[in-house]
Amino acid sequence: MQFDNNDSGSSLQSEINITPLVDVVLVLLIIFMVVVPLLIEGYDVDIPRASADTSAPVAESQLILSIGSAACPILTPPAGEGIPKNCEVTLADQKIPVAELPARVAAILGGRPAEQRALFLAVDDRLNYEAVLRIIDLAKSRVEDLKIEFVAAN
Amino acid sequence: MRLGEPARMQAAINITPLVDVVLVLLIIFMVMAPQMRKGPDVNLPNTTKPNSQGDERGRILVSIDEAGGLWINDQPVAAEHFDETLRAAVGAETNPKIVIRGDAKLNFREVREVMVAIEQEGFRGVGLIAKRAGAEGK
Repeated sequence: MQFDNNDSGSSLQSEINITPLVDVVLVLLIIFMVVVPLLIEGYDVDIPRASADTSAPVAESQLILSIGSAACPILTPPAGEGIPKNCEVTLADQKIPVAELPARVAAILGGRPAEQRALFLAVDDRLNYEAVLRIIDLAKSRVEDLKIEFVAAN
Repeated sequence: MRLGEPARMQAAINITPLVDVVLVLLIIFMVMAPQMRKGPDVNLPNTTKPNSQGDERGRILVSIDEAGGLWINDQPVAAEHFDETLRAAVGAETNPKIVIRGDAKLNFREVREVMVAIEQEGFRGVGLIAKRAGAEGK
């Protein structure tokens, strides 16, 4: 870089001063780095009232998804992503492979008003927790605002 | 300052490199800090599309580690004191948001038992925390 040495006195500086820009960008970077690890993601679920009268008749419109450990033997964290193909779940008394779950849930609940889109889950105690969350993820994948509620284990 | 004048002393210290180094150090410490938290070592389940649960501050974090140990807001809690510790953590809040950070290796029973314990304190909704598949993080 060479400075203009003529006598005009008001030589133009041709470079943009990037220091304030760098400072602002670094501060923004810091802000995002601090905020992002504090953001958490997950699934809202409802817990059944333990004291509730479980012998009450099940409403006709309730869609129940049961996951049994015999038909869906995932007892350890599933490898990779998704659910192993040998898993079968029971949706509204019909046994279906887990891969069909998003389409079936969407077909049954998609037409209902948002406040009635609820899926009741009966899950075997022995199942792996990660597998359960992945099945919830699948069930929610094609229906917006799907409410998930656990029913007491039987 | 006139650039044209020869051999004139520059009186101001150039602080730009100093500021850059300090900012980088700040970033390094901010990245390290969350990893130094004292909380439980929970390997969250991976799922495809978890919904946002907002900022973890302002939530009551109930963690269940791989061995089934319970933690409330990163403090270990014995199972028999779970109820009162949860009540103390909620305090006077009328509509607390409780989230469960369960380890991926748990079976569903351990998580369900914690949900039942939370329900017995009168809270019906919880968030089950997962990690977006492919995302780096705790």
